[in-house]
Amino acid sequence: MLHKKVDENLDIDRVFDSPAEDFDVFIRIAREEDIAVARQMAKQLAQEAGFSLADVTKIATAVSELARNIYRYAKQGRIMIKKLLDDREGPYLEIIASDNGPGIAEIDLVMTRGYTTYERSLGIGLSGVKRLMDTFAIYSEVGRGTVVITGKRRRKF
Amino acid sequence: MKKLISKARVVPVICLGDFLLVPIQIDLDDRTVGLLQQQVLEEIESTRARAVILDVRMVDVIDSYISYTISETAAMARLMGCRTVLCGIQPPVALTLAQMGVMLQDIAVARDLEHALLIAGSQSGVG
Amino acid sequence: MNSNGAVNRVEEMVQELAADSRLQGLWRNFLTAALADNKEKKQVEQLKDSLSLLFEEIGEQAFTAGLRAMAAKNPSLPVTDLLCTVIQVCGEIRRENEQTINNLRQMLPELATPIIRIWTDMLLVALIGNLDSHWAQNIAERLLDRVSAARAKVVLVDVTGVPMIDTAVGGFLIEMFSAIRFLGTDVILTGIKPEVAHTLVKLGVDFRMVTIARDLEDALRKGIAIVTGEKKKRRQLAWVMTGDKESESGEEIDI
Repeated sequence: MLHKKVDENLDIDRVFDSPAEDFDVFIRIAREEDIAVARQMAKQLAQEAGFSLADVTKIATAVSELARNIYRYAKQGRIMIKKLLDDREGPYLEIIASDNGPGIAEIDLVMTRGYTTYERSLGIGLSGVKRLMDTFAIYSEVGRGTVVITGKRRRKF
Repeated sequence: MKKLISKARVVPVICLGDFLLVPIQIDLDDRTVGLLQQQVLEEIESTRARAVILDVRMVDVIDSYISYTISETAAMARLMGCRTVLCGIQPPVALTLAQMGVMLQDIAVARDLEHALLIAGSQSGVG
Repeated sequence: MNSNGAVNRVEEMVQELAADSRLQGLWRNFLTAALADNKEKKQVEQLKDSLSLLFEEIGEQAFTAGLRAMAAKNPSLPVTDLLCTVIQVCGEIRRENEQTINNLRQMLPELATPIIRIWTDMLLVALIGNLDSHWAQNIAERLLDRVSAARAKVVLVDVTGVPMIDTAVGGFLIEMFSAIRFLGTDVILTGIKPEVAHTLVKLGVDFRMVTIARDLEDALRKGIAIVTGEKKKRRQLAWVMTGDKESESGEEIDI
């Protein structure tokens, strides 16, 4: 299953410790306002990378969902975005959302559309992100935290 | 249920006959969305409007939380006897909402203000 | 400096390389540009043009044979430099070709899927062939921009030319239709063949958010009904708004 793990060898600690310099956008999410900031920065970066306006909006929306999840469930965490412009298969934007929150016990359940533990929500957060993006992987450990790695490729036409 | 006592105004609300026109021209962060809902409901109560038109032409990102709050506001407005019309959704936003699988319940969608007035005017009293 | 000797012998080499005066001209252009010490933009252009033309006229094989013969007869010829230049120019030609292909590819969906204004406030799009995800998204984005810019009231979507609708294509169509609905525009779908209808039902795809029409004629008729219906409503509304505002009964009548 794609959404279980990135790969067996994903070093979750390395993701948590990854330095800000490795990314084009690095935002700490700790307050509610940070969600809107993350959204705006993602939008700007996607625009610079030459994505279509529709894809820019999809990327910004996905970042908004990820940032809100961090804020709601883990209180704090971070969003990191990287432009990979000379990827073999074309320009690519990678988003990593990580937190040291409570973690997710039932990943399959969380990925189900309509499932939510939060009162004010449609329950399409994570499954929505997966639909909007081209690649999606989630790694989570109860008590340690959650990492979501997701990306979108710029369309050739 | 907490009482709606706040008088915080985050958007301008224009009274147009029996309708309320709410142009949303601010970046919708979570707090603002909550305040927006409160303000709209208060204005509906005080004006006894029969339809409220939310104009989102200037909104460039609508995520699941914002769309949920809009649906929720519409459901609340309906219980107060007021119909909700959403107008001016931008094409990229429409594509994003559709791809996420968002459905807007209790809410009519209009192309532009003219169309919104038409929907609000011709069908209110029914819903 | 070391190529000076070679430059002086360009004419000699040209005579040996070709008998035809036109080909001689091409070789001359190529050699003078390739052997020039510092290449300016003009010379690079000349090099590119003459090389492309040589390839076109005599082909790569004859060209390399010519180079070989030249190198054998003139030991002083800076063959390595010459080859490097040729490779660089080839790379540039290749990049230009790629650009052309990309441009064509960008045009392709537009040519293959025109969006036509078929009636007042009504657009028609006929989908053709197997839709892959990129193509589908391209169509969806173009269609939504058009709908929004034209303020279309109705979009007719004809899928007669789509041989098969699987879950992926069905999902894409549903997304596109609901996106159009978010703009406040109605969708009329037509052209679903029996086998397509069969798979759709088996897959559990129902297009509930759209109106379905038997054929294009039916679709057009339904579309016109929507457009004129809205016009009528607008007139009624204008009458209610400007007419006798006090009489509440005026509003009740049109419900």
